[in-house]
Amino acid sequence: MPTTITRRDAIGLLAGAAAAPLLARSAAAQPAWWQTIPAAAALVGDAQPSGQGIAIELPLVSEDGSAVDLAVAVDRPMTQDAFVESIHVFARGNPSPEVAEYYFSPLSGRAAVATRIRLNQSQTVGAVAVLSTGEVIAAARDVTVTISGCLARDDTYAATDIMQTRVRAPERIAPGGAGEVTTLVNHPMETGLRTDAAGTVLPEDIVRRLIATFDRATIFEARFHRSVAANPYLRFFVAPPRSGALVLRWEADGGRVAEERLDLVVS
Amino acid sequence: MSSGTVIWLGLAIGVAFGVVAQLSGFCLQSGLRGWWGEGDPRKVRTFALAAATAIVASQALDAAGLVPLGRSIYPLATFSIPVMLIGGVLFGYGMILANGCGARALVLLGGGNIRSLLVLLVLGISAQATLTGLLAPARVDLAAASSATLADRTLPDALAGATIGSEAARWIAVAAIAGLLAVFAFANRAFRASPLQIAAGLAVGLLIAAGWYATGNIGADEFDPQPVASMTFIAPIAGSIQYVMLSTGVALTFAVALIGGVIAGSALAAVPRGRFRLEGFTNPRAMLRYILGGALMGIGGALALGCSIGQGLTGLSTLALASFVAVGGILLGSLLGIRGPLRLAPPTP
Repeated sequence: MPTTITRRDAIGLLAGAAAAPLLARSAAAQPAWWQTIPAAAALVGDAQPSGQGIAIELPLVSEDGSAVDLAVAVDRPMTQDAFVESIHVFARGNPSPEVAEYYFSPLSGRAAVATRIRLNQSQTVGAVAVLSTGEVIAAARDVTVTISGCLARDDTYAATDIMQTRVRAPERIAPGGAGEVTTLVNHPMETGLRTDAAGTVLPEDIVRRLIATFDRATIFEARFHRSVAANPYLRFFVAPPRSGALVLRWEADGGRVAEERLDLVVS
Repeated sequence: MSSGTVIWLGLAIGVAFGVVAQLSGFCLQSGLRGWWGEGDPRKVRTFALAAATAIVASQALDAAGLVPLGRSIYPLATFSIPVMLIGGVLFGYGMILANGCGARALVLLGGGNIRSLLVLLVLGISAQATLTGLLAPARVDLAAASSATLADRTLPDALAGATIGSEAARWIAVAAIAGLLAVFAFANRAFRASPLQIAAGLAVGLLIAAGWYATGNIGADEFDPQPVASMTFIAPIAGSIQYVMLSTGVALTFAVALIGGVIAGSALAAVPRGRFRLEGFTNPRAMLRYILGGALMGIGGALALGCSIGQGLTGLSTLALASFVAVGGILLGSLLGIRGPLRLAPPTP
């Protein structure tokens, strides 16, 4: 039997559809974004996170979800008494929401990182910061991801330069100041979700960690998951108390490691 | 930071192009009309000389190791020949409908032509719709269904072999293509007698190379390996419209600065000479025709990865095989608009 929709029915349907989310929201308080991601909820625990003092920078619209610029900064002092211990980044709409974790120390100088991440679709990207005082700060940003404007992209990569690293650090850091370290490691960051032309799943193969030590003490560490873009890129800060050696060590699947040493001059 | 410098260079290159194009009337569309139909016979030669200059200068930059042209979007190995060709044809026909390409519309807008504003808005929106919006799924499906992988990405690659080294192949290809274009240009007596047209051709060609140098050398960031680029107008016009609306959340780019520069440069050259004149439509049918032209240029340019300048000069300067396909499409589409059963009379807006 054919059904006809009158104009009045249509208006009623539309109004109902528009009101439905409002009703749902008033019936049960909408959960905060971190409550919908188990790992983030576990991290926050019983804390009541504030949204103050954390800044997430993301483009409003990204035409290339395979490498979206992300910067997270927590505007808190980094002293021995109180500092930002870690920042955890989540992308709820990705196959696995954990993107990366960054562990700081008072010698980090600033709790700020910049990187490039993968986003599967338009979604909410969130960050949780845990302070040494036990305080938790959380914030989220919406980002729109369109399909790639680019017609063609090479799916292959040069296998010869995997684990090749690049590092840039200031020639001189003022005493008490923080210097910006920029680094990149060549690596495909194979997600384990992709198939090759023959339909075989390519096994997961990613860079897992970057550890920065200053005179053998760890001052910064980053842990990567498969939502970090290929050729992991990272910008972070170091605040060495004296001149000394900064060693960066990358660890990837398959036991592959890369190490780079820089002499930092504080004067 | 280097990215700031690159944006200023984009603006400067845009201003220079705007000035040159306003003074000389640089335009492939009026050139082809003059060649295949009625009009100034010199302008197609100006375009040919610009292409020849761009090829020689860009290939010299690449050969000197200053700009990796292979890292631009043009030398594709895997692409869809039909999509590239159809895109070119749509763009070429749209260019005849709208009486000028996207770059020409920017220059005319700088001179007070408000018809161009309509063309640009329609072009930008339809280009973005094809790249990432309503038409994007169709584009992706079409490209996926018809893509093929060529053995070689560029003409020199195709020539190089056991007997010819890659550098020799490069200069053979440059000599053949740029030589043909230059001979074509200077074979015309009216063109030879026009210092302004000759200068315009040389200047536009060098601006293409300047764009490569800005993004591929000055702007090269080993921590952010982006494709190198030069003057192109389809995606940048769309990007500029988007930038106007979303500038708090998207980064300013070389391409967007270039677009602003062309409008400003054209106005700079028009106003002191008393050439700035507001012009609009007097005829709704012409308006419809310009809208259709803008839409075809946007869709076609997005499919072909570039316009008369983006593929015709910048793409060609890489000697990419894909660019020859796109340029062939643009010429074919223009030919259909000028001669044959689908031909269009010059518009009377």
